[in-house]
Amino acid sequence: MAVINEAPAAFRSSNDRPGPVGLIRSAFTDVWSRRRLIGYMVHADVKKRGVDTVLGNVWWVLDPLITMLIYVLVMTVIFQRSTPDFPLFLLSAMVPFKWFTATVGSSTSAVTGKEGLIKQILFPKLILPVTLSLSQVVSFLFGLLVLVFVWFFAYHDHVTINIIWVPLIAFVQFFFVLGFTFILSSVTVFYRDVGIVIGHFMRLLFWVSPILWSFMEVAGRGKRLQTGLAGIEESFGLPSGLLFGILSYNPISILVETYRKVIYGHLDSIVVIDEAGNVKDELIWTSATPPDFQMLAVIFASGLVFIVIGVLIFKRLEPAFAKVL
Amino acid sequence: MADEQMRPGTIEEHVDSRKDDRLDADALAAIEEAELEAPDPAEFGLQVEVPKGDLAIRAQNLGVRYNLNFTKKTKLRTTFATLLDPRRRNKGHFWALRNVDLEVRRGEAVGIIGPNGSGKSTILLALAGILQPSEGVVEVNGHVSTLLSLNAGFDQELTGRENIALAGALMGIDHDVMEEITPGIVSFANIGAFINAPMKTYSSGMRARVGFSIATAVDPDILLLDEVLGTGDNKFKKKSKERIANVLKSAKAVVMVTHDMSWITSFCTRAILLDKGRIVADGDPADIVEMHGADAELRKTQKRQAKRLMRHGKVAPTDVNKALKSGTLGAFIEGNEDALQEIDDEKAERRAVLEEKRARRQARLAEEAADGAEAGTSGEDTSSASTTGDGGADGADESERTQTVA
Repeated sequence: MAVINEAPAAFRSSNDRPGPVGLIRSAFTDVWSRRRLIGYMVHADVKKRGVDTVLGNVWWVLDPLITMLIYVLVMTVIFQRSTPDFPLFLLSAMVPFKWFTATVGSSTSAVTGKEGLIKQILFPKLILPVTLSLSQVVSFLFGLLVLVFVWFFAYHDHVTINIIWVPLIAFVQFFFVLGFTFILSSVTVFYRDVGIVIGHFMRLLFWVSPILWSFMEVAGRGKRLQTGLAGIEESFGLPSGLLFGILSYNPISILVETYRKVIYGHLDSIVVIDEAGNVKDELIWTSATPPDFQMLAVIFASGLVFIVIGVLIFKRLEPAFAKVL
Repeated sequence: MADEQMRPGTIEEHVDSRKDDRLDADALAAIEEAELEAPDPAEFGLQVEVPKGDLAIRAQNLGVRYNLNFTKKTKLRTTFATLLDPRRRNKGHFWALRNVDLEVRRGEAVGIIGPNGSGKSTILLALAGILQPSEGVVEVNGHVSTLLSLNAGFDQELTGRENIALAGALMGIDHDVMEEITPGIVSFANIGAFINAPMKTYSSGMRARVGFSIATAVDPDILLLDEVLGTGDNKFKKKSKERIANVLKSAKAVVMVTHDMSWITSFCTRAILLDKGRIVADGDPADIVEMHGADAELRKTQKRQAKRLMRHGKVAPTDVNKALKSGTLGAFIEGNEDALQEIDDEKAERRAVLEEKRARRQARLAEEAADGAEAGTSGEDTSSASTTGDGGADGADESERTQTVA
């Protein structure tokens, strides 16, 4: 009986050392021919998470809810933020951002955590970061479930048809992050320090990305941020608008703002004159709009570039994994 | 590798030899039974597709090198230091395998033996494609199944059954085929209800059973086994021997690494002796096993001599360690031949001195005995006798006491 069909050709020679194009092609066939294995491993990974807790998979729903409640409490009670419908404002950015940090954060252990497997069986190691990325998608879907639930039942006013763009934005985000997981998972094999550095970088990114605030506020945080950063730029002699540009054009910021745009809507400020005659700014929201497709296309294209770079780095380092691990 | 060689040596060898005795009887029984009972492979549907004699594995000038600069413990700091200071560059390489030429044909069972750290496991990793050769070529013609460690890369959280499915997918076996052979794997492993329990609840024997069952059930063209045969109870050992015999009968290639010589002599059609990453001998299993035994004997003698040199302060322990690590203990002993000779000379000298003392004492005793017989007392002689402290003292005391009593 001919048993083995999914594996590549039965003849193997260590003399085959493909060039860049060959590497990309073999990466593609690796992943495509082993899609069932990826399925198994994603299933196993998902099953394993939460297996040693009492509430098990309930945590997947509870986790985003509790995170949201904590930030809502801190921002509205302690910092007295007046953003309208703040819970939805926060959740619409928090859920995709958590997906991003979870994927990048765990990518550092995608290969190093499978030491036993790598030394035991010959298989294309590229499926490890792919598996990891996909199993994080599952967690994201649960978070999204919570988000949509809150959006639909607690914030009727925000409900528009534009929610249908969320899968597209998620698709772009998935491909944008995939290339990074290739790079990080392979480099960490040689430098374990990468894992720690990434942890801190993610924390920084959380505060400089528009999660708890937004660039969209015309007279709010966005404007204030711009003037604040202009001051720093001036004192360091940097071209004006550089720092603000970096912050607002970082792809994660754009993605997060795009999710918010199609779920929550826009934030605007209007000038209100109260009964005593005082003039003050007040934040209001306007309803959701379709995303900026051009921007999404640019991010998607750069994601593909990162995937190519990531595959090349990964495939070049792959032969040394078993020796270094 | 050197430390492994040095420390547990003697104890392990004892245990090993005992195990060998027991296994020999087992092996004989198994072979007899296998010959009587082993069904025709064709009955199982295990058709012999490839004519016997086809080349299954070819390694030419194979070398595997480990870069000692890049190990698990590489720190960014050391990397920068290496970049800045060229003297620290090239901490060196370690050739785990070098200049290995090996051809394995279908129907051949090759046993690889050698001392610890001789590259046995490395050669299997290279043949399996898990390690890429730093030099030379490995060509493998056929589907490979590997069982290289007892844990076999199992996922501890998953059940045995799920792990079987996962292993099948990892090896790239079709889902349908896997469904078909899973019952066979489960019944061969024979671990009862545990098959549906998470792997972390298994004993190491159970894990090995499942691993062995999977690796041999998938009907590979080439089977690579590393030190995993002597596991399980006697019943399972017997079963696994039958299984290997069947694999061989269906004209597949098997390469196994083991310290259990009974496997080599009873199953392998050929044996290879590795030492320091090179093939030392290649040929008939019985001859090679004998040669390995002689080698081990020689190594033991060398270690005994090294210890003797250290005990007598002729060489520094660090030098011995260095020689052990670089695998040049033989040359080291040869280089210190003079010192060994000195130790022998000193010993002979001491013995001669002792002999002389004893002779003198005996002469004196005889004299005293003669005197004592005359005077009837010899009180103070007891203390002087004990100071000589050699073997003859007791006898002398004894004779003195009888003298005193008399």
